[in-house]
Amino acid sequence: MRETILKDIGRAVLCVLAAVLIYSLAGAAGPSVLVVLNAFAIVVVFFSVRRGEVFGAFLGTACGLVQDAFSLGVYGLGGLTMTLLGFWTGFIVRRIDVSPFLRHGAFLLVMSMLELGLRMLLTSVVRQEAIHLHGGLLLLQPLVTSWVASSIFAAERYYLSRRPRA
Amino acid sequence: MSFWDKRQSVLLLAALVVFHLILISLQVPRGREKSLFEKSVFFLFSPVQRAAVGAVRGVRSVWVHYFDLRGAKAENRRLKEELFFLHQENRFLQDRLGLFRSEARVRESLERFREDLIPARVIGIDSTNPYRSLILDKGSLDGVKKNMAVCDRFGNLVGRTIDPVSLREAMVQLITDKESSVSVMSITDRLVGSVTGRSSAVCELRYILASTTGGREGESLETTGHDRIYPAGIPVGRIISIEADPSLPLFRKILVEPYFQFNTLDAVAVLPLLHGVDK
Repeated sequence: MRETILKDIGRAVLCVLAAVLIYSLAGAAGPSVLVVLNAFAIVVVFFSVRRGEVFGAFLGTACGLVQDAFSLGVYGLGGLTMTLLGFWTGFIVRRIDVSPFLRHGAFLLVMSMLELGLRMLLTSVVRQEAIHLHGGLLLLQPLVTSWVASSIFAAERYYLSRRPRA
Repeated sequence: MSFWDKRQSVLLLAALVVFHLILISLQVPRGREKSLFEKSVFFLFSPVQRAAVGAVRGVRSVWVHYFDLRGAKAENRRLKEELFFLHQENRFLQDRLGLFRSEARVRESLERFREDLIPARVIGIDSTNPYRSLILDKGSLDGVKKNMAVCDRFGNLVGRTIDPVSLREAMVQLITDKESSVSVMSITDRLVGSVTGRSSAVCELRYILASTTGGREGESLETTGHDRIYPAGIPVGRIISIEADPSLPLFRKILVEPYFQFNTLDAVAVLPLLHGVDK
């Protein structure tokens, strides 16, 4: 039991490092890339599907708080939305079958849209201002997040199916 | 099966949500001051960002310096030409300055300025809105402190350093951030106001009365130094539109395009603190 918890903590730390890595690389490519590609959401969605709602919620908390630390926004706002994203993604994926590529993509798109919607709502409540849409570019974020995460899953499945079994 | 076992995941979620709500609520009376927890997370993860960007730059550098040397000769020639004109310009400016001060004092202040200047590289952009902040690869160990002005490689104003400043990294609030404000003056008609960001690519020049005459599209703005953070005379941006503001009839609505560009923002200069600024 204790070993499993330690393993999960180790995995979560590695996931957060992976998110920071993707975010740093996206930032190096330009500000527009950062608007459409939410590296932290991709990592949270990917590992919530694999490890379930509890792991997803904790990973969402960690990734969201790290994301907030690299921003001038309200600290904890990203953490809250990512926690809910991680939890509900892990929770729903265990109850409905989302394994086909298109269904998977559609499910992740809905989850990412809900996360973005919640972030917009909380920003308007907490900061009394509307979130900046960057000429509509921000609305592409759920689409890119779901597409990238689904592609990673598809690539993983393809790799596993071609790997010779022992 | 106990209540905890049955509802374990929902209870954990509730605990995490409450934790975040407390975290958000704690900031309300504290204003813009960063919490110790937030600073610690930044201290912990900014080196990862620094390493990732460093690795990418390393690979790119190997490619540019050892494999892809096409155009290097032409670029070298262009840079030499540019350097020649910069030398001439520098000499001309030194001569002009010499009219007001002795040569020894001019040299002394130039040397001091060069020593105080901290060159830095940008290793990250704000994770939620790129027009709000940057992260630099220089921190308190390199002499960076809070409230130091930051310019791009062409000398245009980018922003100022803010908390958190870690040992080797620092955060910069951009002039395009909604909560940033810079005291400026237009160089032709001498309109004095405050450039405030809108967290987008365009800023606003505020507090110019509707009855004020002057000010035209294309006119440049530079810092006045009245805010005691940004030294006077730094180029900020140019006016792109002037119109009446129906929501605030007392003032004119003036939009400003900042001079700094994200695509030339890899290297920046951190300027020394002005005297009398809160450190």
